Amino acid sequence: MDETEDKRYGSGYRIGIRRRSGLLLFSLYFFLSFILPAHPAFTEEYTFDTSETEKKPYHIGGYAELRPVLFGLDKDAALYKLRFYNHDQRNPLFELNGKLLLEGSLEYGISRLYMQTSSDYNKSSMTDHQKTTIYQGYISLKPSNSLMFDAGKKTMKWGKGYAWNPVAFIDRPKDPEEPDLSLEGFIVASADYIKSFGGPLKTFSFTPVLFPVYEHINEGFGAINNLNFAGKLYFLFYDTDIDFILFTGGSKTTRYGIDFSRNITTNFEVHGEFAFINNFEKNVIDSTGKITKSTYDAKSYLLGIRYLSEKDTTYILEYYHNGTGFDRDEMNDLFSFIKIGYASFQLSGSDTLLRKTLDLTEGGYGRVNPMKDYLYLRISQKEPFDILYFTPAVTWIVNLNDKSFSVAPELLYTAITNLELRLKAIFLSGTRNSEFGEKQNNYKVEFRARYYF
Amino acid sequence: MFKTIIAFAALLFAMPVYAIDGAQLLKQIDRNLNPETYESYRKLINIEPDGRKKEYTLFTVKKGVDKVASLFLAPASEKGRSTLRLGDNMWFYIPNVGKPIRITSLQSVVGGVFNNADILQLDYAAEYDVEKVEEKGNEYLLHLKAKTKTVAYDRLRLWADKNKKLPAKIECLTEANMLIKTLYFKEVKDFGGGIVRPSLIETDSPLYKDYKSVMIFAKIRKRELKDEVFTLTFMPNIESLR
Repeated sequence: MDETEDKRYGSGYRIGIRRRSGLLLFSLYFFLSFILPAHPAFTEEYTFDTSETEKKPYHIGGYAELRPVLFGLDKDAALYKLRFYNHDQRNPLFELNGKLLLEGSLEYGISRLYMQTSSDYNKSSMTDHQKTTIYQGYISLKPSNSLMFDAGKKTMKWGKGYAWNPVAFIDRPKDPEEPDLSLEGFIVASADYIKSFGGPLKTFSFTPVLFPVYEHINEGFGAINNLNFAGKLYFLFYDTDIDFILFTGGSKTTRYGIDFSRNITTNFEVHGEFAFINNFEKNVIDSTGKITKSTYDAKSYLLGIRYLSEKDTTYILEYYHNGTGFDRDEMNDLFSFIKIGYASFQLSGSDTLLRKTLDLTEGGYGRVNPMKDYLYLRISQKEPFDILYFTPAVTWIVNLNDKSFSVAPELLYTAITNLELRLKAIFLSGTRNSEFGEKQNNYKVEFRARYYF
Repeated sequence: MFKTIIAFAALLFAMPVYAIDGAQLLKQIDRNLNPETYESYRKLINIEPDGRKKEYTLFTVKKGVDKVASLFLAPASEKGRSTLRLGDNMWFYIPNVGKPIRITSLQSVVGGVFNNADILQLDYAAEYDVEKVEEKGNEYLLHLKAKTKTVAYDRLRLWADKNKKLPAKIECLTEANMLIKTLYFKEVKDFGGGIVRPSLIETDSPLYKDYKSVMIFAKIRKRELKDEVFTLTFMPNIESLR
């Protein structure tokens, strides 16, 4: 076999070689077919009941999920001390999570109503609560295939990055450990205008968005009593997806973004994002607890590749520079101040200093990845060892500033229609005063059973 | 002089009366398979060696030679996912992820023997040149070569019924003529509107021994569609075309 062809078409070439035993069975069958009486040829009947293609004006679906989690706590870590300073936890800590994601739609003429809700249940030794959140709920009008309007709560999901999206100015930040999860949207009014062409520019689309921030409307996004504007221009130009993105208004400072995605070869894709944030304000705490506000123009960017190998292995590699993030000294100061606050609590019983830090960690410090430079690598292998519907994967997230990292192996099994089973572990590693070294867990192991309906 | 005339006459009789225009024949086969712009429903069935099956139902729209989009209707775990192909560009949209990601022709969004190029099949004439046409009894055998390296299969051997000008079998090959998979076109059916074509495509592959995948077609009909339907921005809205 030509090695080049083997690389291009994959390990399947070798399946036939591994299965010589099939040849023996075939020979036996061939022999028996001569000595046994003739029998009718086997014909398989395939049916396609077209009634299942009939469209209904409504749709209800979603999934139910059960997710037990075991946390291995790091009781010496700064973030453990900050969170559990007054209620020591059993280690390891068991948590049970349940989720019901419901979505429904109703269509009438050119209009469509869409709703997506998430009901979450969480129980552990310190929590027992449930919450239902409307993730999305909007009405769409589609006067033509070139023009669409949406109004209501909606996720926009802008950007080309897999783990991070610095240009997603009007989305909630996603968790790089679970980038495919549904996210809660914001209340917006948006339109999509699409135009197709011949030649190198194949597609152009424009998505203007009105983004109100008032009391009880997108509150928490930024300064209230502002009607903000965001927009995206999309081009498919010389087989490259390109977006130009803008956000402006009083709720946050004006920011600009550009992203792109392109297949270099059929199995090799490159993508990138660049965001420029005008007059970004950052609050930094020093080791004495003094908070300093600084203002500067922040630049964030991401560069990534997605590669599918000859053996059906998918590699996703991304480098992310977070211009709004904290450097190592700033994080050291935070961890030092937490430790001072914890010592103060132990001596005096006063949690004033810790509460001050808790407030800060709900802001910039509380982001999933609050520092400046990260590397993301995910390797997933489809159906190794000929085990059907089985996909193992491993994900690394490395903080390049302090060399701490997380590594997350996972096993996904989808043999039963509509049932997805996943076993995942996350191990954190890093020295004291490093991002992953000071997180509240050393490890986390979870099993997720998700049934779609 | 007489010998020259005899030799020339003998040569004339030795040559076929007409030469088959392979490119035109391939275009004719494409048009007989599908109207240039149409919608259809398909069921994809992956059959494993132990007989277990996985089924997917898709709604598909196609326009011209290089635009095709599909929407998954079933099973529930796949519902709402869509794929788009614009020439060599392919994207996959998952509602939860919320944005289309680029995919490749050799991957398969459904697993099984069919890959993305089979599911989002363009006109054969758009991707292949005809190198040679042979006549084999009641069939034509077309030897096709990929126009570019980005096409999923380097070569095809396409057997077509002479009268109906519809494919009966296609062998997908590497550059070195190694067989990757075979597509069998079966059960010719009248879909109405002048569309008479195979309603079932079976495929097997020496690379996936004992595995089989089947594609069943239904409700194929001509439909005028705007180019804007075949864009990234429209992908979350393909359901509205049904």
